[in-house]
Amino acid sequence: MKPVQAPAIELVGVERTYAAGEADEVRALRGVDLAVGSGEFVSLEGPSGCGKTTLLNLIGLLDAPTVGEVRWDGRSVGRRTDRERSRLRLEGVGFIFQRFYLLPSLTARENVELPMRTRGVERAERQRRASELLSEVGLTGRERAYPHQLSGGEEQRVAVARALANQPGLLLADEPTGELDRVNTEGILTLLEQVRKERNATLLLVTHNPSVSRRAHRHLTLEDGRVTSDLREP
Amino acid sequence: MIGRGGGRRLRHARLQAILAVAAIATAMALPVVLVSVGGGVSSHELASLQNAGYQVVVSAGGLHGIAHAHSLAQRILGLPSVAAASPVLSVPIDAFPSGAGTTPVLAEGIIAGEFGPTLGPAESGLFPLPLPLGDPTDQIHYDNGSYAGAATYDVMVSSPFAQALHVTTGDRLPLGPTSNSTDRVVYQVTGTFGVPPTALGPTGAFAVLLPLSDLQVMTGFASEPAAPVTDAADTVEVAVVPSATTEPGVINSVRDQIQALVPFYGVSSLSQEAQQLESASAVLTGFYLALSSVGLTVGLVFLALVLVRRVESERRSIGIRRAIGQPGRSIAAALIGDGVLLAASGALIGLLAGYLMVEGLATWATSTVQEAAQLAIFVPLTLAELAAGVIGLSVLAGAWASRAALRIDLAEALR
Repeated sequence: MKPVQAPAIELVGVERTYAAGEADEVRALRGVDLAVGSGEFVSLEGPSGCGKTTLLNLIGLLDAPTVGEVRWDGRSVGRRTDRERSRLRLEGVGFIFQRFYLLPSLTARENVELPMRTRGVERAERQRRASELLSEVGLTGRERAYPHQLSGGEEQRVAVARALANQPGLLLADEPTGELDRVNTEGILTLLEQVRKERNATLLLVTHNPSVSRRAHRHLTLEDGRVTSDLREP
Repeated sequence: MIGRGGGRRLRHARLQAILAVAAIATAMALPVVLVSVGGGVSSHELASLQNAGYQVVVSAGGLHGIAHAHSLAQRILGLPSVAAASPVLSVPIDAFPSGAGTTPVLAEGIIAGEFGPTLGPAESGLFPLPLPLGDPTDQIHYDNGSYAGAATYDVMVSSPFAQALHVTTGDRLPLGPTSNSTDRVVYQVTGTFGVPPTALGPTGAFAVLLPLSDLQVMTGFASEPAAPVTDAADTVEVAVVPSATTEPGVINSVRDQIQALVPFYGVSSLSQEAQQLESASAVLTGFYLALSSVGLTVGLVFLALVLVRRVESERRSIGIRRAIGQPGRSIAAALIGDGVLLAASGALIGLLAGYLMVEGLATWATSTVQEAAQLAIFVPLTLAELAAGVIGLSVLAGAWASRAALRIDLAEALR
């Protein structure tokens, strides 16, 4: 299984409205134009409810824009069929969530194997690779543990390993350290940076934490569904 | 929903799964019992018809409604291709065996020479042939309807009767139409006969066989006004010549000729009766299945609800899988697979439970139910069709749950 080249992301006039036309209509994103190059490390900041997660979901094809286009490498992908978007997610995107979202009925290794199994990787290969990934995130010997037997930091490391399983070019992390202590936060961020560098992956990370944000090379700030600031590190 | 993960989820939802399987199993067991027992009884009756030694039967509305049975038998015997015409009168009477008090028995009045040729292969071995009843044509006592001739006072008794009441050939056996001892007539036992294995039929284990005219006189069915008709019988069973027993055209022709003789009686060939029985059996099977479909529908709705409940409780897991890239159709297929697995388990357990219930009824139920259960037949094709129907419908239940799964908003599920 070859690593997938990180796509260049482009959002053109993207709006996302929930319950459009109804009394309780919510405009989560309003005319967002954005371009993220391959291999960039971007932090998304802003107050709660400003549209950070919505933006991440649109880029990761978990959601479709109400108006506008989401492009990967210049190709419009935002409104493709469910099947095509599933395939693009499977091959190209690794998600890391704040609450880890491991499947409680699977062991750590099985959680890591899941994307590979969905992709049809042979059992021996995926077992080997899952063990390798768990070793990379420092969980050797914990392969057979179920999520409820793991600490928060360990769970997030399994989630990172799962996100890397299909060697995606795009890593989307929604407050990945929000529920971790300082030591575990450092560990996870170091790991993500290392992976990004080694694989030239694009990393978009939603955070409220300035110390986490500082590690990124580009800082996007959203307010009320709009990108209000786009700062690049020199 | 997939592989080992699916197996674990099934275990996690163990109680729900057990309830769904139990509902389907219960719903499945009912048609298994009904169809197997009902089909078995029908098949038995059909086999009895097909194995009968006669091919046409004359019957009348009401009890003992055929009049002039002796002369009707003679007229039927005169038709081409007819080998035997056997009038039969069945009347419950009382026997007074020595030292045993009054014993109810079923008496069958027959013409000995005609009765033998109408016995089927399964029955003929139960009777000594020719029957040891004097006056094989029953014409001496009947004497052209005068009943003034000499009666033989011969009687044959069934083996269970003989054994239970210690009656043997040569014994004297008083018989009477009622328990009133003044009406009794003393007969001589000239032989015994076996009782064919019956189920749900009217043949009693305690039975006697005697000349038709004797029974008519004894019970008052010889002449009006005591009897509703003169020279009464219940049926006349007609056997065609051996070369024509497999010729439907000849049998139908005989039937039509008899019908022309007695347009006011019912005349039917056994093949007709078999067809009617088969039709009735098919209707009954349909009825059983329709009745069972209520239970099966409830079971399948329950299954669908269990699957939908599972979707609800696994919204996040489904969202995670979708986020990872598992296609919607794969989620749907897994849910349908779960439904099929549960339904197949329920169907299998239901089949087994139905079989065990029938076996239990055949062993421990009261007599009539027990006899019916003992006749049960399990037709693999029918049972397989039933199971396949349940499993097929479970796909719909799975599809319903899949629809709910595919409508999950990923962003919402992962919030």
